[in-house]
Amino acid sequence: MDAWVRFGAQSQARERLCRAAQYACSLLGHALQRHGASPELQKQIRQLESHLSLGRKLLRLGNSADALESAKRAVHLSDVVLRFCITVSHLNRALYFACDNVLWAGKSGLAPGVDQEKWAQRSFRYYLFSLIMNLSRDAYEIRLLMEQESSACSRRLKSSGGGVPGGNGGPGGLGTPGGGLPQLVLKLRLRVLLLARVLQGHPPLLLDVVRNACDLFIPLDKLGLWRCGPGIVGLCGLISSILSILTLVYPWLRLKP
Amino acid sequence: MDAFTRFTNQTQGRDRLFRATQYTCMLLRYLLESKAGSEKLVMKLKKLESSVSSGRKWFRLGNVVHAVQATEQSIRAADPVPRLCLTLANLNRVVYFVCDTVLWAKSVGLASRVHRERWQLRAARHYYCFLLLSLLRDLYEIALHLAQAADRGAGGEKAPGDAQGWQAGDHGESERLQPSVLLLFRSLKRHPPLLLDTVKNLCDILIPLNQLGLCRPSLGIIGLGGLLSSLVGMVTVAYPQMKLKTR
Repeated sequence: MDAWVRFGAQSQARERLCRAAQYACSLLGHALQRHGASPELQKQIRQLESHLSLGRKLLRLGNSADALESAKRAVHLSDVVLRFCITVSHLNRALYFACDNVLWAGKSGLAPGVDQEKWAQRSFRYYLFSLIMNLSRDAYEIRLLMEQESSACSRRLKSSGGGVPGGNGGPGGLGTPGGGLPQLVLKLRLRVLLLARVLQGHPPLLLDVVRNACDLFIPLDKLGLWRCGPGIVGLCGLISSILSILTLVYPWLRLKP
Repeated sequence: MDAFTRFTNQTQGRDRLFRATQYTCMLLRYLLESKAGSEKLVMKLKKLESSVSSGRKWFRLGNVVHAVQATEQSIRAADPVPRLCLTLANLNRVVYFVCDTVLWAKSVGLASRVHRERWQLRAARHYYCFLLLSLLRDLYEIALHLAQAADRGAGGEKAPGDAQGWQAGDHGESERLQPSVLLLFRSLKRHPPLLLDTVKNLCDILIPLNQLGLCRPSLGIIGLGGLLSSLVGMVTVAYPQMKLKTR
């Protein structure tokens, strides 16, 4: 119970729980529609989902400042690529939250003249840019780790195998040139294995990649770039919310720059 | 901005901020209602107040657990009077949060058969009992501090030597005969957490008094009371040493 109290004391945690509930409702609504449930129940689920959405907007009211603060901190990172990716991502997030605040003002009747559709599209655009930046950062980190891992592997092979030149199947370099398609396939397989090994060895990075990839479906669907349907959006939103709740419960799972 | 972020990162901090906004709107509505030409602004204030109020319900979800934990802590208090008062107060708070959760379920459409007014009255009743018992505990602590302050005054009478006997005696007498109000003010000044808690409970009690119909203060008084207690709540979140601790 003490754990719940400490968890709930973080407002981000409560907002993530509401997000998980919102996407669970979306997924449930889609499933009920597919299986022909009563319109009464469907209406109830949709109503709960819209309440959750509005409630979350209120819970997020101060988040712009939070994102700007994170962007300020990210400017001091040593690595140039990371600095760029993380700062731009946080700035886009701050703009997303600002648009979200405008939407809340419109929905709650404070600013009735707000064009909900226009501002919703704007907010999803900023969200998409932020996710693209996050995924670029993840790709950069993966590339760095893969290079480290492959050079470590080749060093281990050289020290253990006594440096056999042109050895068959060394991950660092391959022997006979010009093997064509089979060699390409082998190279690809090795790369995939290396990627799997890197991700397995770094759970925070794996979690971040999966989370961002799942989140990507939401703005893609809402902006009309790739219509995946409410079921997929609901499932991806639920998975990414659960993963971000995990990073809040176990802080070591959060990807640190 | 860093301090603001740290403050709002705590759910309690954000909730108190929204509560302050809610009661400020109430106060402003009261002040502007009589003025001509401000109907649109009053309408906007009412909408803001109701959306913040309904949004705050999301902050309170799950607070039942907090209240149960607080009850467990208060059972372990050293002093019997605060132990009794706080335990009963926290039990009332648990029931209040249960009623509040039921009302939330009704407002989002999950429990359509719930009788809203009945549950609102129940919630108000338990919130009232919680505040009364908290005030009782505050009064007990104040009485304790007053008695200590009075003892200190009596002790001062005996301290100096015989030569200054009658002068010192005079001093002690005047300490004891000081108006109780001044003594009260002095002892509260020495214990800011107790002062803040008393002010908060006194301001908060206007809300259930109004809801239960026991007393009908004006909208402005309720708004002012709510705003003051929210500000006190924000101070205790920003400065945790200002929170009244159970001994």
